[in-house]
Amino acid sequence: MPSHLNVPTRYWELTKEVPPPPVERDEKSWIIANPADPLWDIDVLPLTYTDSRWSAFVVRVPEESRRRLCPNPPLQVWDGENADLVEFWYVDHKNTMLGPYLEFGVTISAVYKDPKGNVWKAGYYPYMYLTGDAPVDAGRVLGFPKKMAFIRCTVHGGEKGTDFFGFAMARNGYLIHSATGKFDDKPVTPPYFYGKTDWGKFNMKVITRPDISSSTWQLTYLPSELPPQFNIKGHRFMIKPEHTRTASGDAINWFLQATPFDNMGAELKITEVTGLISFVFDLVIPPAKVLWEETYERPASYRGYATPYKYGLRQQFPIHQGS
Amino acid sequence: MGLQANEHSYPWLQEGEVPPLPLDRDRIHIISQGVADPLFDYDIIPLTYTESRWMAFVIRCDEKDLKKIVPKPIEVADDVVEFWYVIHRNTMLGPYMEMGVTVSATCKSEDGQVYKAGYYPYMYLSNDSPIWAGKEPFGFPKKAAYIAAFEHGTNNNYFNVLMERRGYIIHTANGRYSDKPLAARPVFYGKTDWGRMNYRITTSPDVTYSIHEVTYLPSELPPQFGTGHRFQLNPASIRTATGADIRAWYLSGTPFDFMGGQIPPKEVIGLISFTFNLIIPPAKTIWTKKVTRSDADMNQVLYSTPFKYTMRHRFLLPQYPGC
Repeated sequence: MPSHLNVPTRYWELTKEVPPPPVERDEKSWIIANPADPLWDIDVLPLTYTDSRWSAFVVRVPEESRRRLCPNPPLQVWDGENADLVEFWYVDHKNTMLGPYLEFGVTISAVYKDPKGNVWKAGYYPYMYLTGDAPVDAGRVLGFPKKMAFIRCTVHGGEKGTDFFGFAMARNGYLIHSATGKFDDKPVTPPYFYGKTDWGKFNMKVITRPDISSSTWQLTYLPSELPPQFNIKGHRFMIKPEHTRTASGDAINWFLQATPFDNMGAELKITEVTGLISFVFDLVIPPAKVLWEETYERPASYRGYATPYKYGLRQQFPIHQGS
Repeated sequence: MGLQANEHSYPWLQEGEVPPLPLDRDRIHIISQGVADPLFDYDIIPLTYTESRWMAFVIRCDEKDLKKIVPKPIEVADDVVEFWYVIHRNTMLGPYMEMGVTVSATCKSEDGQVYKAGYYPYMYLSNDSPIWAGKEPFGFPKKAAYIAAFEHGTNNNYFNVLMERRGYIIHTANGRYSDKPLAARPVFYGKTDWGRMNYRITTSPDVTYSIHEVTYLPSELPPQFGTGHRFQLNPASIRTATGADIRAWYLSGTPFDFMGGQIPPKEVIGLISFTFNLIIPPAKTIWTKKVTRSDADMNQVLYSTPFKYTMRHRFLLPQYPGC
């Protein structure tokens, strides 16, 4: 006799911690599909983070490479003080509305001048990788260029028990980046936007129609000042300075490469790793403003790049056993 | 310390194994963000699959339960539901594992036409690119999960499937094929006038509005591929098991995934497995609605308390998530 067991537990009826599914609520509260059980829901809003550990390598990137990575129109690269310093960062997010996850990104100082002459200054993200599906999707709604990857952020050993560090990222079987070393607490010059509330964050969102007939690009902007409802004046990255550690370039071993699936290692053209700044912080992510929008239409004859039923290098990576 | 290497070469690009870099193309050839290195790119179009193995459990649900998870204007057409796993071996998105539920449904479009289709309330995949390639343009409700599906033993007579997400087992089933006929099958099986439907929601970066769409994928092959169903079955590969042949079945709702709590089967009718080739064409939008939010509406969207983390925010961190 076969054993068939269905456990129809409805957690949203057991605890107020879990919201009812969108289909049981007003449609104004439906943020993403599917309304029966979305990948993330309104219990992530407002999106706050506590005691995340940010570890930012500061790297020098030539102007030509930065220009290539910041889409123009509408963006231009920042050409002021420390313009060539780019942030190459990992984060260990311990407490978030999307669960714990690890994250990686690159931030380039950039500016956008709107038709009224206002100049918007922000760090622009050309690359981002995360370990969780929900934060990838929640970020992509705001325009973040997130993909999933295997990520490691570790500290251990030495006098403080956290003096040595190791960071690594791999995707589709390829190692993209690895860095190891020891905090020597020497001064490291940060990218220009560090700590400045008049510098926000830029992303380029792409929305493609279901019939692939067009894609709309939107330049989105996240301000660095906290939204008024938080009643906290200051930067929305709230740093806890007592936990800050640094390492000079001489204390860092570093390997970075492009892969058939991820071009970052070749496109950044890093000339120097100048150091590492690591700190603990709380964070709020507010909704984003759309500053610029343009739609690109495709002809009905558009067929993409692939040949039907022929699979190339990018389509034959080893299959994963799990997620 | 201080040993550093940055490898900038692109041998696969020079040999033509991968498409030209997005940074070197016209913008009409970029279909997803990040625009420097998209999560899925135009070398997936046209999207074709070869030798995929479909393992579809046929279950009977309570029609009242199905009506609760299917949003208007979509209507439930039958209580026999497909609960399926797929091993995708060769695809334009690389190999991956997939799980989904398909409910027979109808939808009256804005021009009065009634579309018949299998509607997807739940889907899970093992890789990031196929998740967002399905989710963003078309509206497939995809999440990342650990998925396993096997056939083994003499003549591959034994089958076993398993799906886990965030530390909870959502479903498992195993048994032995008897090749006996099933008492019932989903009504859309083999019919070219029944397509596939998704409910897509695209929310603006400032969360002030969401576009709701019902998207429709026809089952007829696109003209350039000939005629017939776009699921091209190999009839010699079909295996079946009755409900009594399914030795063990376990399905449970979890705090993160409501499926087991929302549609507990009244009966597991059997299993149909087959090997097939597939084409996924662009989708048609058959129904659209814009839902706007005022400042006052935002109160019902902000469900969580800032900096306070609950049951849904504290799942265990996976060791190798998603990728």
